[in-house]
Amino acid sequence: MKRILLIVALFALVAVGFAPAAAQDAPDGIFPGTWPYSLPPTHHLNLFAAGGPHDSTGIGNFYRQLVVMPFGFYRWDSATYEGLLAESWGFNEDNTKYVVTIKEGTWSDGTPLTANDAVVTYAIGRILNWADWNYLSDVVAVDDRTVEFIFNETGAGYTAERLIMKTRIAPAATYQALADEATALIAAGKTSDDQEWTDLATKIAEFRPDVLLASGPYTYSLEDIGDSYMTLHWQPNSIYSGSVQFGEIRLWQGETESTTPLVLNGDIAWATNVYPPATQQAFVDAGIRLVNVPLGYGAALLMQHDTYPFNIKEVRQAMAYAIDRDENAFFTNGFGATGTEYMAGVLDTMVSTLLDADSIAKLNHYDFDVDRAAELMETAGFTRDADGKWVDAEGKRISVEYKAPAEFADFLGASTNAVEQLNEFGFDITLRAIPWQQTAEDIRQGNFQLSVWSWAGGNPLASRQFFGPIQRFNYVGLSDGQKGMNFPMEFEYNGEMINLDALINDVSSGFDRDAQAQRAGRVALILNDLMPFIPLNIISAAQPFNESILTGAPADGDPLYAAPLDDAWMLKLLLEGVVRPAGS
Amino acid sequence: MRKLIRSYTFRTVVQGLITIWAVMTFTFFLIRLMPGNPAQIKIDEYVDRYGMSEDQARQQVATLFNYDPDQPVFEQYVDYLSDLVRFDLGRSLTSTETPVAEQILRFLPWTLFSVGLALLVAFSLGVLVGLAMAYWRGGLLDNVMTVFASVIYAIPDYIIALLLIMVAGVQLKLIPVGELYGGSTQGIEPGFTVEYILDLLKHAFLPVFTYVLATIGGWMLTMKSSTISTLGEDYITVARARGLPERRLLTAYVGRNAMLPLMTRLAISIGFVVGGSAIIETLFLYPGLGRNLVLAIGLRDYTTMQGIFLVIAISVVVSNILADLLYGWLDPRVRLGGDKGTE
Repeated sequence: MKRILLIVALFALVAVGFAPAAAQDAPDGIFPGTWPYSLPPTHHLNLFAAGGPHDSTGIGNFYRQLVVMPFGFYRWDSATYEGLLAESWGFNEDNTKYVVTIKEGTWSDGTPLTANDAVVTYAIGRILNWADWNYLSDVVAVDDRTVEFIFNETGAGYTAERLIMKTRIAPAATYQALADEATALIAAGKTSDDQEWTDLATKIAEFRPDVLLASGPYTYSLEDIGDSYMTLHWQPNSIYSGSVQFGEIRLWQGETESTTPLVLNGDIAWATNVYPPATQQAFVDAGIRLVNVPLGYGAALLMQHDTYPFNIKEVRQAMAYAIDRDENAFFTNGFGATGTEYMAGVLDTMVSTLLDADSIAKLNHYDFDVDRAAELMETAGFTRDADGKWVDAEGKRISVEYKAPAEFADFLGASTNAVEQLNEFGFDITLRAIPWQQTAEDIRQGNFQLSVWSWAGGNPLASRQFFGPIQRFNYVGLSDGQKGMNFPMEFEYNGEMINLDALINDVSSGFDRDAQAQRAGRVALILNDLMPFIPLNIISAAQPFNESILTGAPADGDPLYAAPLDDAWMLKLLLEGVVRPAGS
Repeated sequence: MRKLIRSYTFRTVVQGLITIWAVMTFTFFLIRLMPGNPAQIKIDEYVDRYGMSEDQARQQVATLFNYDPDQPVFEQYVDYLSDLVRFDLGRSLTSTETPVAEQILRFLPWTLFSVGLALLVAFSLGVLVGLAMAYWRGGLLDNVMTVFASVIYAIPDYIIALLLIMVAGVQLKLIPVGELYGGSTQGIEPGFTVEYILDLLKHAFLPVFTYVLATIGGWMLTMKSSTISTLGEDYITVARARGLPERRLLTAYVGRNAMLPLMTRLAISIGFVVGGSAIIETLFLYPGLGRNLVLAIGLRDYTTMQGIFLVIAISVVVSNILADLLYGWLDPRVRLGGDKGTE
């Protein structure tokens, strides 16, 4: 009898010792956030198709990382990665490969995370023409947890690194069969011009998995998608399941107009929408803290350079001096915008990271100075008429139209204020608010005189920061026949012929950070001098963070707040359990 | 056969079919004239949010979307028509390979329920109150209700919705806004159970209340005006002279005849039920067809937009035909007049 009891006790001990992680209890808290997700059947669980979790109509670029995680999290303040799924990462010695070792962990169904998951993800991504494959020739699993990304001849660099580190890795358990077909197709020498390739791409898009396997601490099913909110449920098998402090992430559906009352009522504790200044004030009055986080872009005043007199450098510089950018920022997004300080073509918060010190010292800040603006106008041959308006030698006023997107409250606010300030200075500008899609199309076609769109961008590399709008909305970055701003990118500058397009493209190449900073500094100085567009301000999301419901947001000015949503502070602090229910 | 072709009903139905085709064709080309297309919007999103180059984004979107913006519009139209004759409304462009018909079937019942219920309530109450206002015209009820109806009818529905949310919901805390948003509460099993039906009614309260407030004024004023006109008819004077009781006079003589013009308006309103009210559904996060249409327009999901517009067009045309036939049935003079010499 004793022996039997002993064996039973032994079994019990073993059972307890090997109890699966599922025995772990879900944390109590509910995190009330918001995202404008779509409802099924538009919303489905295919990670590779429009309408799936990865899409902006799915759960968007922040929340999806809590479900299907990427290798890493980028710190914009220090230009370094922190591992999420990756245990180690980096270029090999001769920079021909990027090598990632995946942390030991499991998917939500208990199957292990392996290098094969990455291989499967990239095999399908290849059929879908992912940008990553512009830099890669192959993705190979070296062992169970090590994967090598082999660069093509020109692919090695920080641009490719960011793409690799930010790609959400899909589960092989769900997508292996499709990946096998992709691999077979590539092995057979097929290309995207072949019908088989298109057929497979369609098959991938049609695929509708029943279950969403998660590597992150949360997952959901289609039943969890409600009309007013959806629920991401905690799952016990993630690397981060033990550290997060919420058992549910509740995402309220809707855009700004629907979520405003929910924030005021305390149903939503953290929101990433852009709220107008009056709403922000209402939040403050209700005792809700606003956390300022840059969105990675700002409003820029665009000129069509075929339009006289915006083809004259002094006039553009005068416009930069004549606009009080702090005032403009307030009209753009209340507490959630700041006037651009450095006028360098990269976000102010990135200037010290991306540019060399010598160039930073030489940047003209274009501080608000209407006298200096007037001097420049006179240099350009303009005088004031009896009404105080600037006229050229032929007595012609600067009578132009300014097109702005009617639906974008921030860009429209920036435009209204910029037009008012410039008209007060002596221009004769008529503002015309039109649908945003029409504004974008008109800018692309060069069918505008003045307009507004974003500058900088949600990518921390200097080449990508410079991209918009000088490349994005200029003939060099547009389709054939579209001229956009039509700012000439090849010209003589300080006695030297330069190709600004090539200079920008080259800024982030190579691995020498100092050389990159010098190249970026040079581009910044050219943009700063020629002022082909005016970077009016930098917009931030004044994110309501209700401290009666949540706690753990760092103090204002914390370096974590430097990153836009894709590398949001909240992601790191949620996963680490720093953000938690108030009072816990 | 000739008699059938020349009949009022046949001609009305043929006119309806031609109208549907015309609306369908018009909307097909009109939405393609809108600035931006689904692919360009996605490209912009990739460039803005993910820092891709235009080329990279274009390349990826071309594979992601089953849509070629460079295909000639007339070819697209022919494809669309050939799908349509096979009762295929196509696939969503922004949720790859999701059938449009599936979306419509998912969202249409919610709109039919909420807007239909609101129409029923607003019509019934409006007719009753309008009748009373006319019958006791000049009295306190008439004066108060006329002012109320005029004011409430002048306020757009979305303003009423916003006032409900911000004043009654947020400031006065009379309505638990978050609890009432959506079509039903997550976790309650759908079915013919008391719990689910009560939950449906609870969630439909805000949109239905808004629709009722926004439309009841119109019904009241129209009914009042129609009743006053009827009260002046000779047969009412004769009926009164015959000593008929007031209640019988009011219901059998005045009410019935005064409602005649409202029946046409009701039938036409039924057609617009399908379109719902996009802004109201968006504000209350109600999962109806209108909200889906707003999303589809924002993303330029052409196929989804076309499908929804087609359903709306069909419902409006069918309800107009019904209104025509109903009026002819209710008032034989109209039918005989329309078919003079043909029947």
